[in-house]
Amino acid sequence: MNTFESLLYENLILLDYKADSKKELLRNLAAILEEHGFVKESYSRAIIDRENRYPTGLNTLGIKVAMPHTDSIHVHKPAILVAKLAHPIAFKEMGGGVNDVEASLIFMLAITNPECHVTTLSKLMSIFSDKGSLVSLYEASTKAEVIQKLNAILT
Amino acid sequence: MSKMKKIFVACGSGVATSQTVASKISNLCEEEGLNVNVEAVDIKSLESIIDQCDVYVSIVSTGANNWNKPTISGIPFLTGVRMEEEFNKLKEFLVK
Repeated sequence: MNTFESLLYENLILLDYKADSKKELLRNLAAILEEHGFVKESYSRAIIDRENRYPTGLNTLGIKVAMPHTDSIHVHKPAILVAKLAHPIAFKEMGGGVNDVEASLIFMLAITNPECHVTTLSKLMSIFSDKGSLVSLYEASTKAEVIQKLNAILT
Repeated sequence: MSKMKKIFVACGSGVATSQTVASKISNLCEEEGLNVNVEAVDIKSLESIIDQCDVYVSIVSTGANNWNKPTISGIPFLTGVRMEEEFNKLKEFLVK
């Protein structure tokens, strides 16, 4: 079974997405997940709180990323939302929480059972250390292309 | 054969990052033939179990890491930036 494919949905791939602040971005992306029935109402607040406490910006080479996620109790159905931002948004860097990371690519995770998705998530995160893949993903111009590129990288 | 060393990786919710870093480190150790047990743990339960590990891999802010344990950063294993350097540090801790 290709578990990764089942976590990607065209209506959760956002291209040239615009937001004015990190909080607005997180709230809007969470609302999209909620609207499509993937997460509970509580997810939005939980993801914002967690991002404040444990930031997820990563100072990756090429394209900077952020990977907001939170506890599985806020999730109905697992998915990975991918947002390519029109303008980078400042996230705090994971680990230190001090430096800003101007993130252009957002992977918002809605995960119900971390153990059963660990392989998929590890593969997803393997992109973070691969500058070429990040740039290629960022340059994808259609939703289908994003999904196709992600699948190609991950299988 | 020395006793198997234990490595703990902790992140905020234990949802994704710690497991990923743990499996990455586990693979790297396996490739080098290192006899280790790498575990992803929840930061909330860390205080009660920290004594059981030999090396702690931190993904949360460094200010919270006042454990009296050899500590390395888990971030390089996600970004690949300075990963070798951090892995070498881990290996040094393991042979001690």
